[in-house]
Amino acid sequence: MAAITMRLPAVRRAVGPAAPRGGEKHLVAPGDTITTDTGYMRGHGTYVEEEKLIASVAGAVERVNKLVCVRALKARYNGEVGDIVVGRITEVQQKRWKVETNSRLDSVLLLSSVNLPGGELRRRSAEDELAMRDYLQEGDLISAEVQSVFSDGAVSLHTRSLKYGKLAQGVLVQVSPSLVKRQKTHFHDLPCGASVILGNNGFIWIHPTLEHKDEEAGGFTTNLEPVPLSDREVISRLRNCIVALVNQKLMLFDTSILYCYEASLPHQIKDILKPEVEEEIVLETRQRLLDLEG
Amino acid sequence: MAGEKEKVVAAAGGCCLRPFSCEQGLLSRPDGSAAFLQGDTSVLAGLYGPAEVKGSKELPDRAVLEVLLRPKVGLPGVIERSREQLLRQTCEAVVLGVLHPRTAITLVLQVLSDAGSLLSCCINAACMGLLDAGLPLSSLFCGVTCALDPNGAIILDPTTRQEQEARAILTFAIDSPERKVLMTTTKGSCSVEEGPCFPP
Repeated sequence: MAAITMRLPAVRRAVGPAAPRGGEKHLVAPGDTITTDTGYMRGHGTYVEEEKLIASVAGAVERVNKLVCVRALKARYNGEVGDIVVGRITEVQQKRWKVETNSRLDSVLLLSSVNLPGGELRRRSAEDELAMRDYLQEGDLISAEVQSVFSDGAVSLHTRSLKYGKLAQGVLVQVSPSLVKRQKTHFHDLPCGASVILGNNGFIWIHPTLEHKDEEAGGFTTNLEPVPLSDREVISRLRNCIVALVNQKLMLFDTSILYCYEASLPHQIKDILKPEVEEEIVLETRQRLLDLEG
Repeated sequence: MAGEKEKVVAAAGGCCLRPFSCEQGLLSRPDGSAAFLQGDTSVLAGLYGPAEVKGSKELPDRAVLEVLLRPKVGLPGVIERSREQLLRQTCEAVVLGVLHPRTAITLVLQVLSDAGSLLSCCINAACMGLLDAGLPLSSLFCGVTCALDPNGAIILDPTTRQEQEARAILTFAIDSPERKVLMTTTKGSCSVEEGPCFPP
C-alpha cells in the first residue's frame, strides 16, 4: 500500500514583506489616479478625465519615457507579430487549421503557412487539402510563430522554419501569459538534460533534448522512441519547479527555471509540490536572481 | 444560532456587514470569473468578451452589454429580468464600451444560495468578474442592501428573515473614487427624509 499525504485547506499566507523583491511596482485598480501631470501620453489601460490620468484596468503601471500604460494582471493572450506560441489543433477546416492558444479567439494556421514534407515549395493543390489530416490532426500540439493579427484580434500562425512544427513527446504546462518573460529566444536547451519551449501564450512545453536535428522532416514526423528514465525524471522535476514558480508568481525565463531546478535538487520530485518546500525553493531562486542583477 | 446572530447584529445598531469573501479566476472557460459570498448568500459570475456579436444586435460606436441571471431553482422569471436590467444599467455606466465598438460583452450570473441581499451580492460579483476579465472600467463599484425595519432603524446587509420583516429594502450601487451612487432600487415604502441619510 502506498502512503498518502492529506492536508486540510488552510488560510494562504501572503508573501511576506521581508521577502526580497526586485523593485516596487505601482499597482492600481480602475478609478485610481495614476498622475495629474499632463505631459504623459496615455497607453492601454488608461483614460483621461478632467486632466487626470486614471487607470481603467487592475494591474501594474508601466512607463516608457512619456508613455504610461497599465498592464492587466491576468488577461487572455493577445497575439503580437513575432511571438512564439505552443497550441493545440482543435479543428481541421477547408484550407486551414484552428489552433487553441489561450486567447479569446482561436488562432488560425493556414495551409499555405506550413512547410510541406521534404521542404518543397509549390502551390498547394487539392490533394494537399485532402491530405491535411495526415499532417496535423485534432489534438496535436504544435509550436509556431505569429505571422499577423486579424482585425478582430485573432492570430494567424506559421511554421515556416524547421524549429517549429508538431511536438512529439514531452509535458505541457499551462500558465498565465503574463508570467512568461519576453526574451530573444524562447527555445532553451537547459544544461540539466531537457529542453523547454516557453510559449508567449503561456503554454510551456518540456521535452527531452533531441540528439540530432532531422533536416528533411520539415517538422512533421514525430519521434516516438522510448524516453529513458533519467530524462523522464529531469522533465518531471522541471515541471514541478515551473508549477512552484507559477504558484509564487515569479516570472518564467530560462535562468529562473534553471535556478529553481538547482534549488530543488536536495528534495524529492514529489515533495516540490508541498507548500513549504515550494516557498523555500522559490525564496532561494529569488535570492539568487537578485544577486545576479546587482 | 441564526437567531442569536441576528440579535447581536441588531444590538450593534445593524450597521455591520456579514463576513464576505471573494474568489476570482475560478472558471477556466470564461474570460473573467468571480464568486462572491456575503454571509450565506453566494453568487457566481462569468464574463465573456469583448466577443463577436450577431449583426442586428451590434452597436456601431460601443460594446453591447448583456446580463443573464440564473436563479438557483427554476427558470428565469420576471424578477430575474428586472434585476438583469438594473445590473446592465449599472455595468454600462462603468464599463468603457467605446473602446470596443461592435462587440458584445456577456455577463452570466448564477445564484448559488440566497440568504438575503441577493441583488447587492450580484452587483459585487459582477464587479469582481469585470476586474478579473481585464475589461476597461472607469471605476470599481460595490453593492449594498439596506433594510428599514418597522421602527425606522437601518440594517445593513439583511438576511432573508430581516428582509421579510422590514418595511422597505433599498439596494445601492456605489462607485469607488468619489463614493457616488450609480444605481438605487427600492422595494416597499420609506419617506424621503430617511433616504439621504443612507450611504455615509
